[in-house]
Amino acid sequence: MGDNLRQLMVRCILVGVVSLVSALTSPSFALDVPPLTGRVVDLAQVLPADMVASLSRDLEAHETKTSNQVAVLILPSLEGEPLEFFSHRVGTTWKLGQKGTENGVLLLVALRERKVRIEVGYGLEGTLTDLRSAHIIRQEIVPRFRSGDLPGGVAAGVQAILGTIEGTYKAEEVMASRTRSGQDPTAVEYVIIGIVVGTLAGIVLSHGLQRTRALLGSLLAFLVAQSATVGLGLLAAGVTAFLLWLILQANRGGGRGGGWGEGFIPGPGGGFGGSFGGGGGFSGGGGDFGGGGASGDW
Amino acid sequence: MGSRISVFATFIISVLLLGLSGCGYNDLQGLDEDTKAAWSEVVNQYQRRADLIPNLVATVNGYAAHEKDTLEGVVQARAQATGIQVTPDTLKDPAAFEQFQKAQAGLSSALGRLIAIAENYPNLKADQNFRDLQSQLEGTENRIAVARKRYIEKVAEYNKGVRYFPTNLTAKFLLHLEEKPNFTVADEKAVAKPPEVKF
Repeated sequence: MGDNLRQLMVRCILVGVVSLVSALTSPSFALDVPPLTGRVVDLAQVLPADMVASLSRDLEAHETKTSNQVAVLILPSLEGEPLEFFSHRVGTTWKLGQKGTENGVLLLVALRERKVRIEVGYGLEGTLTDLRSAHIIRQEIVPRFRSGDLPGGVAAGVQAILGTIEGTYKAEEVMASRTRSGQDPTAVEYVIIGIVVGTLAGIVLSHGLQRTRALLGSLLAFLVAQSATVGLGLLAAGVTAFLLWLILQANRGGGRGGGWGEGFIPGPGGGFGGSFGGGGGFSGGGGDFGGGGASGDW
Repeated sequence: MGSRISVFATFIISVLLLGLSGCGYNDLQGLDEDTKAAWSEVVNQYQRRADLIPNLVATVNGYAAHEKDTLEGVVQARAQATGIQVTPDTLKDPAAFEQFQKAQAGLSSALGRLIAIAENYPNLKADQNFRDLQSQLEGTENRIAVARKRYIEKVAEYNKGVRYFPTNLTAKFLLHLEEKPNFTVADEKAVAKPPEVKF
């Protein structure tokens, strides 16, 4: 019996270790998504430096005007990764386009495979359709690539993309709708609502024992604020309990304190909205991609 | 006496409320909705593909009318695929889900044959209309792949919620949620293949 049990335990531990190791190593893609260092990421170094600068300026001006985020990625090779999968992965990792309008576009060029793709975010699929993307590739990009003019092909492709999506969104409208949607309750608001509701409920609902009042109030505060996170819910509960305890102290002029509030030390709150933009001063706006766009080769 | 009852009631209500939120009631409901939305997107993209087919068939017919078998194969497969009623409830029925998958796979292979015969007709290959339809078809196949991938991920998440302790208790006794069928491994291989760009 004891031996069996020991064997079982050893086996369980082994399985645990194996699964831990595989979990740590599992998401293995042939090719990692390169860091978003700017609007034009030329890892194959085929574009002259001044052209990278001028393209980036154009793309930035376009974003200021329309809020569309367009980026270019030129790779030496796909390392065996399927073009469409990789392109989608880059788009969703970089989060091109604004959250809500999903207006991002990626122009991806893979040199060794001689493949090019325009990946279109959800919000631009209506204007920069698969067909329009295919035409841009066929008519603007591929002929230039075939004659050996890579920079010219990229520039013409970018201009055609910008021309197509020019009128879809206006920056002011998008920004306005973003501030509107920003009026949804934030985490902090949940906590405040939780504390207020909890305090009022604690006072109104419970005429009896102090502890009940504090307990009920802080529970309600926790439940309301929990929509933010569990940690903030606990914080709201703690604050509510403390408030109720203070009120009780004031009402009764001292006496027994509610046990709930004592010794509650709110921990340091979790970091709010980690922003790691990187050096280039350009980061994705939170857009999403659904596989729209077109591919071609030259 | 009254205060004691209120203490008791408070305690019970609190425990119930805490229990509900702690046992993933909202999470499960949310995941259930997410899988439905992901599924709608899959169906939507398949529908989009079906909508492209009549034009494609007509165009190919203009250049290669005597490839009757292949053309009819596509038309039939399309009729079969669009004949299946799909709703979010299809997800609850593994048999219906299987049937849907089979019909769509049948249409995929019929379309594959149609594109393959286009290789033999240089005039067809050069036709602007055909090339446009081809691009749209590729784009749609790619969206289908993305939509399926997202569905697979959502269902995996949902199924974990339904099976893991303690949320499985909420799923079973309170919400009566069951595991949802997912695309099978054989399909997974088809999905992992990039859509054909050559023609």
